[in-house]
Amino acid sequence: MTAPGARDQGRPCLLIDLPPTPYTEALDLQHRLVAARRDGRLAQDAVLLLEHAPVFTLGRRGGLDDLIVPRERLAQEGIEVVAVERGGLITYHGPGQLVVYPILDLNRLRLGVRDLVSHLEAVMIRTAADFGVEAGRDERNRGVWSGGKKLGSIGLAVRHGVSFHGLALNVDIDLTPFSWIHPCGLAGVAMTSLAAEGGAGVSMDTARRRLASHLASALECRLVPVSLDALAGF
Amino acid sequence: MKEINELNLPEDLRYAEDHEWLRPSEGAARIGISDYAQDQLGDIVYVELPAVGRRLNKGEEFGTVESVKAVSSLYMPVGGEVAAVNGQLAEAPELVNTDPYGQGWMIEVKVTDPAEIEVLMDRPAYSKALGG
Repeated sequence: MTAPGARDQGRPCLLIDLPPTPYTEALDLQHRLVAARRDGRLAQDAVLLLEHAPVFTLGRRGGLDDLIVPRERLAQEGIEVVAVERGGLITYHGPGQLVVYPILDLNRLRLGVRDLVSHLEAVMIRTAADFGVEAGRDERNRGVWSGGKKLGSIGLAVRHGVSFHGLALNVDIDLTPFSWIHPCGLAGVAMTSLAAEGGAGVSMDTARRRLASHLASALECRLVPVSLDALAGF
Repeated sequence: MKEINELNLPEDLRYAEDHEWLRPSEGAARIGISDYAQDQLGDIVYVELPAVGRRLNKGEEFGTVESVKAVSSLYMPVGGEVAAVNGQLAEAPELVNTDPYGQGWMIEVKVTDPAEIEVLMDRPAYSKALGG
């Protein structure tokens, strides 16, 4: 196991560990970083690691049909529904789920969108394996699965060749809100988490470090941890 | 992904930085995305196009293309008014993959300033930009 930052090969890629962040705040940060990456003010690719407060998000094609409880119920629970520009349909984010947003200049990386989706799946599978959880792909439905249940999801957006949005890996999350939707438009799909699959020593902090390390290997980059303050100008 | 020398890049088209192509013509110019773009996106499952009659400037987003788990924005290679959109893509978005320069075309545009076509890349320039 290689610790993040230990690799001194490859191009630098900024790694930003964020505290729990409201969804719309993180979305705004992504939009600013994408614009800065595109026009070169941000000279390196960046990867954001974070957790969100409970929120449902809809993909570009919507997905409200896949909400199977009345919206009032969500209002009672104090959970917002936000429509965004990523691919995929409805999903849920909440505490205990590791969210990773890679802001990558795909042209410069010579990386296709479909290859990035594949890398993100591989990175989640390797992270699960670090906790002794066997996970894999399902060719019909993308994302990462364990024991027939969905462990991790992917939804990306690309503007001028710069990626944003990303992946969500269930580490140790209350799975109840997933039962209020057909996740990603799939009826009858059950969600799971590393903790629910009996992962050994599951913690968010370890999951962050392991996943970041696997992502650096997949992207052949060297992670440079920076604070959010370093991005304040963007 | 295809190697650069495996890409189909027709000689009679002009290409934009964001991988759209444009076919210059007397009337409205046809626009789509290149073989490179469709290849690096993978299987396209949904294409969102603008309303006919809409005026858009060069560089403005004219729609999106959704491949598996990813939505990518499409940008106007030139400014103009949308004269037609390819309605076939609503039912058969995969045409963008299988025939990007033919049945997979996206929109036709009445070009406001033909000089904007002249500054687009020709085949050799686009091929070079792709690293070939």
